[in-house]
Amino acid sequence: MTHRLLVTGSGLSVLIAAAWLSATPVSGQSPAGPAAAAKPYKTPRTVDGQPDLQGIWTNQTYTPLQRPANVTKEFYTLDEVLAAEKRAAVREAAVSTPGTTGDVHYSGSEFGLDKSQGTLARSLRTSLIFDPPSGRLPPLSAEGEKRAAAFAEMRKKLGRFDAAQNNELDDRCITTTNAGPPMLPYAYNSNYQIVQAPGYVMILVEMMHHIRMIPLEDRARPPQSVVALTGVSRGRWEGETLVVETTNLNPTTVFGGIDLDAPLDRPAPFRGVSDKLKVTEWFTRIDAESISYKFKVEDPTTWSAPWSAELPMKQTIGPLFEHACHEGNFGLYNTLRGARAEEEKAAAGEKKPN
Amino acid sequence: MRAKLAIVAVGLGIILAGTSLRAHHAFAAEFDANRPLTLRGKLVKWLVINPHSWFQLDVTGDDGKVVTWMIEGGSPNQLIRLGVTQKSVQIGGELVVEAYQAKDGSNKAVGKSFTLADGRSLLLGGSAPGAGGDVK
Repeated sequence: MTHRLLVTGSGLSVLIAAAWLSATPVSGQSPAGPAAAAKPYKTPRTVDGQPDLQGIWTNQTYTPLQRPANVTKEFYTLDEVLAAEKRAAVREAAVSTPGTTGDVHYSGSEFGLDKSQGTLARSLRTSLIFDPPSGRLPPLSAEGEKRAAAFAEMRKKLGRFDAAQNNELDDRCITTTNAGPPMLPYAYNSNYQIVQAPGYVMILVEMMHHIRMIPLEDRARPPQSVVALTGVSRGRWEGETLVVETTNLNPTTVFGGIDLDAPLDRPAPFRGVSDKLKVTEWFTRIDAESISYKFKVEDPTTWSAPWSAELPMKQTIGPLFEHACHEGNFGLYNTLRGARAEEEKAAAGEKKPN
Repeated sequence: MRAKLAIVAVGLGIILAGTSLRAHHAFAAEFDANRPLTLRGKLVKWLVINPHSWFQLDVTGDDGKVVTWMIEGGSPNQLIRLGVTQKSVQIGGELVVEAYQAKDGSNKAVGKSFTLADGRSLLLGGSAPGAGGDVK
């Protein structure tokens, strides 16, 4: 884990961010702006007449999923966000303290992985979640609590580095938070390509190279027992907005297998949802370079209420590159070897007479 | 007013610091923070693979013996996007790597930073062609 990958930076157009906030047609949550109200964006059309969402996009953002406890407002001012990003960019590039655990990492800056080195989809929201209005996940239902407790118990018995199976999903190149749905940014490589054809929308997710194939018709879904990493999606156009409803998600891999309620810098394994999880997404192009991406998560057996969030997708440079991730290649072996070496060291220490 | 702004700024800083989810795998489990190394050697191979690239470095010891080290680095996707490719990195060139050794004691390490003999960064990072070029 690195400090450098946890922090931020940027340099995006102020105008685009302001326009995004004022022109977001889907949420109705954004403050109105006089400039955007005067000039609504007209989404171009594909050859077959669909609103055109095609292109290379990123949802890399600094906005947390949940509103921090010390913040009560829904939006920051642009100045507040810009100032914070500036400070964060400095921290992002800073060298951490030699000899500390946090320092055991390659330099993110050298590998172009700092957020300040790529396109940023800036949001002025204080949290991606806007419903509940608290900006935080609703409380777990009784069943959700029970499931979470069972997961925690299991986790106590199985150490993180005891076996490959206990490693997290991204260690093993299975999936990250990027693919979704809902599609949430990861630490880096949060890039997407949208391609449209008659009757279909395809979303290519750079990491871990997932393909979301969305038929634009309400065709029959497989039974609930059939699950897929990115679920089974059906799309439709509502005016300028692509609406996608997804079911048949794998309860163990959804949200990249990460506990959404854990602090983001100390991720915990996801506590599970049920196979009744349904995710609805709304994609609306709001200017030549931005899409408003809004989603709603419903699983009454996990949360006491549905919850909704919104984040921008910003046009970035392409093409997408293959991310042929090989089970952590050397990483998985080395991680497990490291853990065994630590255990051997500890055992040898215990055996010493003094 | 000044005090109020400062509070907001601190709060926002904390929020942003915790924004990204995580690095790919648990480096602290793999590498030992108590085994820092500075390796000077010849780059013989760069494996441009995801999720982590690996650099093979031939290091000549004081006794003249050559020892091959494997050094872990970052995901190549963003480097390629910034214009850094296999062709940008000179195979055969001398490299200085600040690293931490694997906990199992093998000749593997994670490269904290990679510099050329003249002090320039091997991978250029933010100064690579196109770096920041996509920032609008």
